[in-house]
Amino acid sequence: MLKLGNIEFNSHLILGTGKFSDTETMIRAIEASGTELVTVALRRFNQDKPDDDLCAPLAQLKNVKLMPNTSGAMNAKEAVRAAQLGRELSGSPFVKVEIHPNPHHLMPDPIETYAAAKELAADGFIVLPYIPADPVLAKRLEDAGCAAVMPLGAAIGSGGGLSTADMIKLIIRDSNIPVIVDAGLRAPSEAARAMEMGCDACLVNSAIAAAKDPAGMAKAFAMGVETGRTARNAGLMPKSDIAIATSPLTSFLG
Amino acid sequence: MDTPYPTTATLPDWLDPTPWLEQSHTAADVRHALGTESPNEETLAALLSPAAAEFLEPMAARAQALTRRHFGRTVQLYVPLYLSSWCSGGCAYCGFASDRQTERHALDYTSVAKELDAIKAMGFEEVLLLTGERCPKADVDYLRDCVRIAAQKFHNVAIEVFPMAEEEYRILAEAGATSVTMYQETYHPETYDLMHRWGPKKDMLNRLEAPARALSGGLRFAGLGALLGLSDPQYDMLALYRHARHLQKTYWQAGLTISFPRIRNEVGGFDAPYPVDEKMLAQIIFAFRICLPDVPLVLSTREGAAFRDGMAGLGISKMSIASKTTVGGYGDAGSEEGQFDVSDARGLHEFCDMLRSKDLEPVFKNWDSTYR
Ligand code: SF4
Repeated sequence: MLKLGNIEFNSHLILGTGKFSDTETMIRAIEASGTELVTVALRRFNQDKPDDDLCAPLAQLKNVKLMPNTSGAMNAKEAVRAAQLGRELSGSPFVKVEIHPNPHHLMPDPIETYAAAKELAADGFIVLPYIPADPVLAKRLEDAGCAAVMPLGAAIGSGGGLSTADMIKLIIRDSNIPVIVDAGLRAPSEAARAMEMGCDACLVNSAIAAAKDPAGMAKAFAMGVETGRTARNAGLMPKSDIAIATSPLTSFLG
Repeated sequence: MDTPYPTTATLPDWLDPTPWLEQSHTAADVRHALGTESPNEETLAALLSPAAAEFLEPMAARAQALTRRHFGRTVQLYVPLYLSSWCSGGCAYCGFASDRQTERHALDYTSVAKELDAIKAMGFEEVLLLTGERCPKADVDYLRDCVRIAAQKFHNVAIEVFPMAEEEYRILAEAGATSVTMYQETYHPETYDLMHRWGPKKDMLNRLEAPARALSGGLRFAGLGALLGLSDPQYDMLALYRHARHLQKTYWQAGLTISFPRIRNEVGGFDAPYPVDEKMLAQIIFAFRICLPDVPLVLSTREGAAFRDGMAGLGISKMSIASKTTVGGYGDAGSEEGQFDVSDARGLHEFCDMLRSKDLEPVFKNWDSTYR
């Protein structure tokens, strides 16, 4: 069970909804993934032009909750405004705080993200910030009232996998809130690895949207996440062999 | 004697070790625990189990490798100064308990300064100030003044005193205290009640929550421990581990240390109901190093020289030396009887020579008063 704020989910996979070739393909991928939570950028809400709107078709999916994200915001002030508008339009208590001012690498701005997350948590949102894989920032955000932290596995859209694995392990070790890997995952095996490490969920977008068969890849990610989670719960065999020193270390114990 | 202090029948859920005590462990479980990348309660339970006693050598190797990785080839040194032997406590195992017929002393401020000067002249930069339970001769005001004197002379001033309110800890932090040591003695409620016969220390939860209050009150480091020998060591050590993990997750900016004081039946007058021998103590220390790889583990002069020499760098990264457990004792002032017997009576130089002969560097200063 994945618990975000006071809401529980059976699925441990969260989908991003950008980058799909068309709405139909997106919907089929979401259904194939079994996800119960999708994130959608406020900038893809378009009530005036239904053809261009992602919110309405997503809102019709049963068992799937919406999480507006603030992608496109350059700073905390813009993100807070986007979050408030997103809540108004979608009625969702969730917000994914996403502030990446550099349009090329899209790395999250930790300072603005912290400021926005703190303000939104105080305003009653269930806040999930997208962050660099930084254990100190993660604890700061937990203290600020976030419902989860979403460290990146690698840069958005890079398909770099879990290049931040060691930092994510540190985040998991001391976190009292769910840790969700967001961005960077290319293959379902990487999602499995994240879950084996102890992550609570994975958020995937590009890897599914850009696959030849998005619905097929969505299903594969769902299986990857489940496989990793099951393995984690079953207890992985340790890696290292037991070392025996050449000269005994414990001879002083008699 | 009737007591106005509450006694506790159960531990809070976040601390209760019983779910991990119900399992028995095989050699395969121990091998598994030894190689794990993400240690947890299960790992510790396996490494504390009787099955792990056969794995002392590989446990030592892992403990040494982890100690080197996180602390290098260094051992941090400190020294205790007992300020007062006045105590309102009735701990069954302690030489300072209020029913013991022993002469009581509390150092006056002039003596405190003299004692600290003598300690400083030896070369120490970290001093641990100790008292017994709260009493008029050694109260918060007295402690605050002693901390102030110590903070003028030492970079790191630690206190091992009675549990206080957050506000009182703040007063001591402002006076210059950086660390608090608070051993729970035992996490086992019935044993705790039995051992602490009267006085404010009967209130088990008050003591349990003291490290958290100290960290909220502005102290930066908290030292935890349980007095080995009072209760089933597996129970106490698992609860201690859970206590440490809880504090790590809640007070994530705080530094923790863990000590392993042990009642030794061969020294002192109290017979421990659950005696822990050297092999078991070593097993416990290795297990903690494997499960908390980056937490400093402390060994005092309660233990003998051979054991301490063997454990330095093998899990242990912080040690006291040249310690007196009498009130004062470094300068002119000094009482006759100590709180417990010192088993490693070597002087500082001899001890440092030993460390260097093992390729370990004694470190005196690991903190700077600028940060206060
Ligand atoms: S252990 Fe501490 S509180 Fe208990 S009798 Fe001794 S000095 Fe007093």
